[in-house]
Amino acid sequence: MSQKSERRGIHVDQSELLCKKGCGYYGNAAWQGLCSKCWREEYQRARQKQIQEDWALAEKLQREEEAAYASIQGAQSQPSLTPFSKFEEKKTNEKTRKVTTVKKFFSPSSRTAPKKESHEGKAPSPSITRQSSIETDRVSRDFVDFLKNLQKPGREIHKQCRAFIENMANKKDLGADELSECVQDFYQNMSDRLMTHFKGSTERVERVMDQVEKYIMTRLYKNVFCPETTDDEKKDLATQHRIRALHWVTIQMLCVPVDEEIPEVSDNVVKAITDVIEMDSKRVPRDKLACITRCSKHIFNAIKITKNEPASADDFLPTLIYIVLKANPPRLQSNIQYITRFCNPSRLMTGEDGYYFTNLCCAVAFIEKLDAQSLNLSAEDFERYMSGQASPRKQEPEVWPQEDAGAGRSPGLTQVYQSLDLLTGLGARQDRVLEGARSLESDLISWQESVEREVQEILEKYPLEIRTPASAIDSDNVENDRLPPPLQPQVFAG
Amino acid sequence: MMAERRLSSLGESPLEVEVGPRLLRVKMVLLGGSGVGKSSLALRFCKDEFKASTPTVGCAYLTQVVCLHDSTLRFEIWDTAGEEKYHSVTPLYYRGAHAALVVYDISKKESFMRAQLWLKELEKQYIPGETVVVLVGNKADLSDTRQVPLQVGYRLAESKGLLFIETSAKSGEQVSELLMTIAHRVKQSSSEVRGLIEWPEAECVGVLQGERSSLLGACCSVGS
Repeated sequence: MSQKSERRGIHVDQSELLCKKGCGYYGNAAWQGLCSKCWREEYQRARQKQIQEDWALAEKLQREEEAAYASIQGAQSQPSLTPFSKFEEKKTNEKTRKVTTVKKFFSPSSRTAPKKESHEGKAPSPSITRQSSIETDRVSRDFVDFLKNLQKPGREIHKQCRAFIENMANKKDLGADELSECVQDFYQNMSDRLMTHFKGSTERVERVMDQVEKYIMTRLYKNVFCPETTDDEKKDLATQHRIRALHWVTIQMLCVPVDEEIPEVSDNVVKAITDVIEMDSKRVPRDKLACITRCSKHIFNAIKITKNEPASADDFLPTLIYIVLKANPPRLQSNIQYITRFCNPSRLMTGEDGYYFTNLCCAVAFIEKLDAQSLNLSAEDFERYMSGQASPRKQEPEVWPQEDAGAGRSPGLTQVYQSLDLLTGLGARQDRVLEGARSLESDLISWQESVEREVQEILEKYPLEIRTPASAIDSDNVENDRLPPPLQPQVFAG
Repeated sequence: MMAERRLSSLGESPLEVEVGPRLLRVKMVLLGGSGVGKSSLALRFCKDEFKASTPTVGCAYLTQVVCLHDSTLRFEIWDTAGEEKYHSVTPLYYRGAHAALVVYDISKKESFMRAQLWLKELEKQYIPGETVVVLVGNKADLSDTRQVPLQVGYRLAESKGLLFIETSAKSGEQVSELLMTIAHRVKQSSSEVRGLIEWPEAECVGVLQGERSSLLGACCSVGS
C-alpha cells in the first residue's frame, strides 16, 4: 500500500521513507517498504516456510508411495503393471547380491526408502540420516541465501533447480549414463542462460554454476552415487581387494622420492592419506575434487622437502600411487565415476583440479595393471608376494645376505625376535609401573593414616567446647548509654 | 529494473568484461621419456630461469599467459610421468589437449626412439589438425655429444606434418619462440576447426580479475 502511494508520490512523508519495521533505516518500495536488512530477514523467513512446505509435501508423497508399495508387496499379483515394479526388481537383485553388498548396510541410504530425502524412522541408522538431512537443509539455505543476492534471476534459478530435482526423482530407474546426461544437459542449459543474463561474464556464471552444482548434487547424491544399475560397487570391491593384496609394495619398489624418516615429510604423507580418504565423505563433485587437490598439494610438499627441489610429474605420479596404496580409499571407483559423470566437464579436462583428478585416474589404472615389471621385481617374487607366501617388508640389504649365508634368519624371524625383545621390554616396564602403583597405594594409605593421626592429635589438644553465644548488642549492653545518640533527620527549608 | 541496477553495481564494472581481449584456455601436454627435460622445459615456459629459485612446490601443473595481438592465451601445462611403466595410462592426460609436445634429448638416441613411440600413440588418438603436435629436441646445449642429428628430427616431423624445434631448457634458447609458435598455431586452429570453441572465451574474467595486475608482467616478452 505504501508502495502505491510512493509510486504516485510527489509529496512523501519522511516517516513513509523509513523502514516499516521501524528500525530507523530507510525503506525501499521494491522491498515492500522495508530496509535491505529487514527485507532479507523477511524474505528468508518466507523461503524457510516454503522449504518446509516442500518438505511436508515430499514426505506426504513418500508416505503415499510407500503405502502403495506395501499394498503391492502384500498382493504380489501383477507387479509388472505398476510403476513400482522396478523396485521389486531391485529388491530381488539385492537379495542375490547380498554377499557383495555388505558395505551397503553401513551406508545411510536405505533400500526400503528410496525417496531422495526424509527416511525418518525407516533408515537403519537415524543419526546418520538426520545428519545428512541437516546437511541438505544447510545447503538449501546457503543456496537460497546466495541466490537472494541475484534477486529476480535468483528466484528463477531456484525454481528451475527444484523442478529439475523433482524431475530427476522420477527418473531414478534410468541408467547411470542417462542420469549423467540429464545432469550435464541441465548444467549446459543453465550456464547458457546465465551466459546471456550476465552478458558473457564467465566468472560470474561459474560462480553461480558452482552453487547450482552444490545444491543439485547434494540432493541427488543418494540416488546417483554408485547406483544399482552399474557395477561400480563390484569395481570398488575389486579395487579394494587389489590394493589390499598389494600391501607389501614399498617406497623403494615404486621409486617414490619421499623419505618418511623426516618427520615433516611423514606428516605430509599422513595428511595426504587423510585427504584422499576424506573424498568419500563429500557429496558435491567439486568438494571431492578439492580433496584430491589438497592431497596432491601435500604430496608436492613431501617431495619438495625430501628432494629440496620442485616436484615434477615423474616424482608426483609414483608418490600418488603410493599414497593410494597406503590409503586404500573407500569406494574409490564409485567416487571417480561419480565425479566423471556429474562434475562440470570443464573442471575435469582442464584446470588444476582436472590435472590432479587425471593423475588419480592414472594411479588407479596403474594399480589395476601393476605387474612384476612395473615394480622392478622378478615374476616369481611378485607371485610369491601376491599370494602371501613371502613378504619383502624387511628387505634391508643386511638381512638378506645373512639368509644366503645360511644364518637361518629370515626377515620374518628377525621381526619376530624384534617383537619378542619389544615385548620383554614392555613386560619389564609394566612390572615397573605395577610396582610404582603399589608403592603409591601404600603411600596413600600411610598418608591417610598420618592425616587422621594429626587430626586426632589436634582434636585432643584443643578439645571442642561450645561457648554460649555473645549476647545481642541492643538488649543488655551495659555500655549502651555511652554511644552517641542516633542521627535524627532534619528538615531544611527550600 | 531494481534487479538490473543491483546487478551492475555488484562486483566489477561490465566495461572490464567487454573490453578485455579474447582469452582462450589452452591445455598443453608434455610427453617424452624420463630425463629428457620435460619439467625443466615447463619451468622455462613459466619463468625465465632454468632452476626455479622461487618456492615453487611442484612443476607438474603450471600456467602461463601469452598475449597475441588480438587475443590472450592462458596455457595450462600438464607434465606427464615419462617412465615407460606409466606409458599405458598416459592417454588419460592428453584427452582434450590443444597442444602436445613430444620431447626427446638430442644427446640420447633412445629418447628419440621413445618419442617416435609417443607420436604413434598420439596418432591413434587424434585427427591431425585438431591438436597441435610439436616434436621438440631438447638439450640443444649438449650438441657436442649429439646423437640425434638435426636433420633426422626435422625429417621425422616433416613426414608426419608436425612442427619441429630444437631447444635448450638449460640456456633458455628457443623456448619462448617455441611457446609463441604454439600460441599462434593453437589460435589459428581454434578459428579454423572447432578445436577451442568448447571453451569460448572461457575463464576470461577469472584471469583478468585475479591476475590483472601481473598480467603484463607475466606476458612473454617476445613480441607477436
